[in-house]
Amino acid sequence: MSAHDTAAAVPSSPSASSGPLRRILHPVRGRLACAAVLAAVGSMLALVPLAGIAHVARIALGQGGGSVGPVVAASVACLFAGMALVLAGELVAHLADNRLTHGLRVAAARRLAQAPLGWFTSRASGEVKQAMQDDIATLHGLTAHFYTAVGRAVGAVGVSVVYLFALDWRLAIAALLPFPGFFVFLRRAMQASGAGMQAFAERLGRINSATVEFVGGIPVVKAFGAAGTAHGGYREVVDGFAEAFADFTRPLVVSMAHAHAMIAPVTVLGVVLAFGAAFVGLGWMAPVDVLPFALVAPGICAPLLLLHTLLHDLQGATGAAQRVLALLETPVLAQPAPDQQQAPVGHAVRFENVGYGYGYGEAHRVLSDIRFTLEPGTVTAIVGPSGAGKSTLARLLLRFFDPEEGRITLGGVDLRHIEASQLYRRIGFVLQEVRLVHASVRDNIALGRPSASQQAIEDAARAANIHARILALPRGYDSVVGEDAQFSGGERQRVSIARAVLLDPPVMVLDEATASADAGNEAAIQDALSRFAQGRTLLVIAHRLDTVAQADRILVLDGGVVVAQGRHAELLARGGRYARLWAEGQPC
Amino acid sequence: MLKTFLQLLGEDARLLRRYAWMAVAYGVLCGLTIAALVPVLTHLLAGSVRAAAPWLAALLAGVAVCWGWRRRVEQAGVRVGVAVLQGGRHRLGAHVARLPAGWFTPQNTARIGHIVTQGMMAVAQLPAHVFTPVIGGVVTPLVIVAALFALNARLGLIALVALPLLAGVFALTARLARRADAAFHGSFAEASQRMVEFAQAQPVLRAFGGGTRFLEQAVTQQRQAGLRLIVLSALSAVLNAWAVQAVFAVLLLAGALWLDGEVVGTIAALLLVVRFIDPLLEVAGYGEVLRGARGQLDAVRAIFAVEPLPQPAVPQTPADASIELRGVHFRYEPGAPEVLRGVRLRIASGSMAALIGESGSGKTTLVRLIARFFDVDAGSVCIGGVDVRQMTDAQRAAQISQIFQDSTLFAGSIADNIRIGKPGASDAEVMEAARQAGVEGIGLDTPVGEGGARLSGGERQRIAIARALIKDAPILLVDEATAALDAENQAVIAATLARLRGRCTLVVIAHQLSTVAMADQIVVLEGGQIAEQGTPAQLRARQGRYARFLAQREAAKGWRIAPGEGPR
Repeated sequence: MSAHDTAAAVPSSPSASSGPLRRILHPVRGRLACAAVLAAVGSMLALVPLAGIAHVARIALGQGGGSVGPVVAASVACLFAGMALVLAGELVAHLADNRLTHGLRVAAARRLAQAPLGWFTSRASGEVKQAMQDDIATLHGLTAHFYTAVGRAVGAVGVSVVYLFALDWRLAIAALLPFPGFFVFLRRAMQASGAGMQAFAERLGRINSATVEFVGGIPVVKAFGAAGTAHGGYREVVDGFAEAFADFTRPLVVSMAHAHAMIAPVTVLGVVLAFGAAFVGLGWMAPVDVLPFALVAPGICAPLLLLHTLLHDLQGATGAAQRVLALLETPVLAQPAPDQQQAPVGHAVRFENVGYGYGYGEAHRVLSDIRFTLEPGTVTAIVGPSGAGKSTLARLLLRFFDPEEGRITLGGVDLRHIEASQLYRRIGFVLQEVRLVHASVRDNIALGRPSASQQAIEDAARAANIHARILALPRGYDSVVGEDAQFSGGERQRVSIARAVLLDPPVMVLDEATASADAGNEAAIQDALSRFAQGRTLLVIAHRLDTVAQADRILVLDGGVVVAQGRHAELLARGGRYARLWAEGQPC
Repeated sequence: MLKTFLQLLGEDARLLRRYAWMAVAYGVLCGLTIAALVPVLTHLLAGSVRAAAPWLAALLAGVAVCWGWRRRVEQAGVRVGVAVLQGGRHRLGAHVARLPAGWFTPQNTARIGHIVTQGMMAVAQLPAHVFTPVIGGVVTPLVIVAALFALNARLGLIALVALPLLAGVFALTARLARRADAAFHGSFAEASQRMVEFAQAQPVLRAFGGGTRFLEQAVTQQRQAGLRLIVLSALSAVLNAWAVQAVFAVLLLAGALWLDGEVVGTIAALLLVVRFIDPLLEVAGYGEVLRGARGQLDAVRAIFAVEPLPQPAVPQTPADASIELRGVHFRYEPGAPEVLRGVRLRIASGSMAALIGESGSGKTTLVRLIARFFDVDAGSVCIGGVDVRQMTDAQRAAQISQIFQDSTLFAGSIADNIRIGKPGASDAEVMEAARQAGVEGIGLDTPVGEGGARLSGGERQRIAIARALIKDAPILLVDEATAALDAENQAVIAATLARLRGRCTLVVIAHQLSTVAMADQIVVLEGGQIAEQGTPAQLRARQGRYARFLAQREAAKGWRIAPGEGPR
């Protein structure tokens, strides 16, 4: 797909005020229109035989010229031509859908590739999942089926009405009387249901939460033998909902039944024949002229009803389109322009008056006025109670998000002025959440250096204590993660360490809890980390104070502020927050 | 599909039958009324309006009857819908409540939630949106065929023969469409999974320069696979209509050929032919909708197909709090590898057993089987000498407290949630349990939010611990590994075990050194079997797996990150 197509896939040209559906479908609107037109013309042609029968009747009754044969032949030919056009319309719509889905996915990927890393929390991945799976599936239904169906219906109804009016406008009006009647009853039904809508929507919400609580609580009920209060609550809500539904549909049903009965083919046929007979009796038309009306008018019902159902489905699609658009418009990190880019000198990291929060004001800042320096080759540990902001601080260094106040520099250059790939070649990380890609083990380890030699990859794996485990896999380094390479949590951690080892960054951010994830692997992981930590500038998020007691500097973080920093002995002597944390953490 | 519907309705099944008969009757009435057009038209074309009048009156009367009948059909359909929404949901709820606790994985819980809420709503609307038009669209042509036969035997015969042929084509198309759908959804789902993986692995991809490389490859592959399916999908959408139109063409040609004989009769017959084809065309278009309906009902059937745990006819009471596993074999799904392969274990009443083993060794499964999360495939699990299958759920629940990974809370206060462990507990007892679990500091009246949303993960687990403590059952099952990352919870569990030791039978999946030190019995699981078993002293002397476990835990405890140090 060309770059032009991808750019077009992110709708920007239509004004923001046009509906989400129109914006999403913008790239394929031409093809969809073409599909609709093909379907419309196809269905029009498919109706020619009806006119053909009327004409044949006229000839057979001696009231028209020409012979039967050619008319019949033409009718059948039109029938099949019509069907072929409808198929063509379907193909065009499917092709358009294929292109659109592809374009949306690529556009989303390229957009997300620039979003701040902090956006990718577990909440966000749920959004991505819904947009990518459910919502694009809804849109697929829309592009592939909706427009051709509308085309067919409009074509059939349109050509029928025009034909009937062209023949005899008086009988046409009479024959089409039931249809406005349909809309009248429909409107009445909508008005009647409007009253109960509110209560109904509220019950709908309640049934969702009652079900979740009931089902979620069943294991607990089983464990505690408690009589199911949730079950009783569920039963109550179900009954309430059924009652609301019955109340809601009762006024609806009568009007809808009248509406459907009114445009049933049987009714339309009756109306046509009654008026037709009357007009014939009045001498306004010949009996044979009634025939086309009896043939064509009852056929309008089905496409009209179909149109009505389709328009309903459109509403669901709008919501889906909105969510996909939201994904395509995810805020992105500002990347430095080429002339703004600077190269860092050395690997000292400095936090200068860094502040970060959720915009709720002073009282709720996650981090305030953070000031410290990571000297090259040193180990700095961040300690503090949970919720103090340790992870956020580490993530700021990794540019998961940008600080709201102050700045962070690497080698004298603000992180915002370093190009992304340059940044990550200098700062690596081993965090608790391991992400391996669905590719071979070799590709996973060499993610940062695709051109690395097999020897270099194996050395990195050895350093991470995972080489032997990989060789034990059915295809060794070629085994695919998630398929023939099933790793336990600790083993995945070691693969991620190998990945970092191969990249060999001078600065590393490390979460110390990675080791405790898997009891069996703990020793191996700790060993690998220790070896890897040599000679690097390390920033460690520590949970157990004794593991970092020998660090060059310890930062004590509490409530988003650095309350103390220094070496272990000094901090202990000072007798403040650190000393208290140390005492709490000692095994009894 | 129909069977599931009937199962869903239970005693209300007669409502569905009644509705179906009414819909069929409606179709017949419409067909008969339409057939009345023949005499009307015949007389009209012959030039005699007066002769046509009585037949016209009959036709109009028929229209009025159909109109009235339609309303009754719709009302019957709504009654079916309400029965689904009420009785159907009750029946699903009652069935689900009896399923084994082990069935309730996050996926299954989400699945059943979806079926009960949106699935049932869709099924409730099936009569009005799908069944009425389809039944009418099938029955009316049948009546018209009879009328056609009476009018023009040859055309009638062709139409009659065409019906089974059409049915065959519809079935074929359905199969084609299913295949196209399945293939499409398969590749669609895979591409979407890739996107989600892309989003989740983004920090890694960004940091290591992976970029959009992998994803774009996969997406392009998807596109090509989709292109190959297009013709199949498009074809399956139009094949039904083509078949019906082909029948129309044949009838048209036949009618035209035999026009020389009876002109007026043939014209009337052609009109009947059009009224025969039209509803069939409508039905032809319902293929996709019917497939969707079938999908919904299949999902319901899958739920009903899950076997509830059998309850004993004559329940027996356990003698004490001992636990015994005799030759237990278990696998999660037929065809999956066995997770437990012939486990034999005895835990004396009031003693403590610590289970250790690598992930995947079967320790979690073993503990869940004691709590009857599932039934064993072979062998038996006995509590107090009685097989768990011979106890009622209530008896077994009264014997066992559990501290596992799930800590489901209900909306309400912390005190409410703790009281679930012992309904009717006094405030003092609740307070004591809260204190022992370390949650008294939060304030017992604090609302926990829906599903415990207002509390942190650690706090939720501690409330679950308090809940288990207040229950004070003779047996306590603990999965310590899940608390490994929360130092506070680890301390609470260690204190709990120390306090309960000797008073309850304790089965612990052990993580901390302090836990294994106080156990009466250590059980080492490997590959679904017991590799080592004995007292801590015995196993330590043996220098086997247990000794290695101890060494690892000691080493892990003593780890230090220090600058400029060689490997430890």
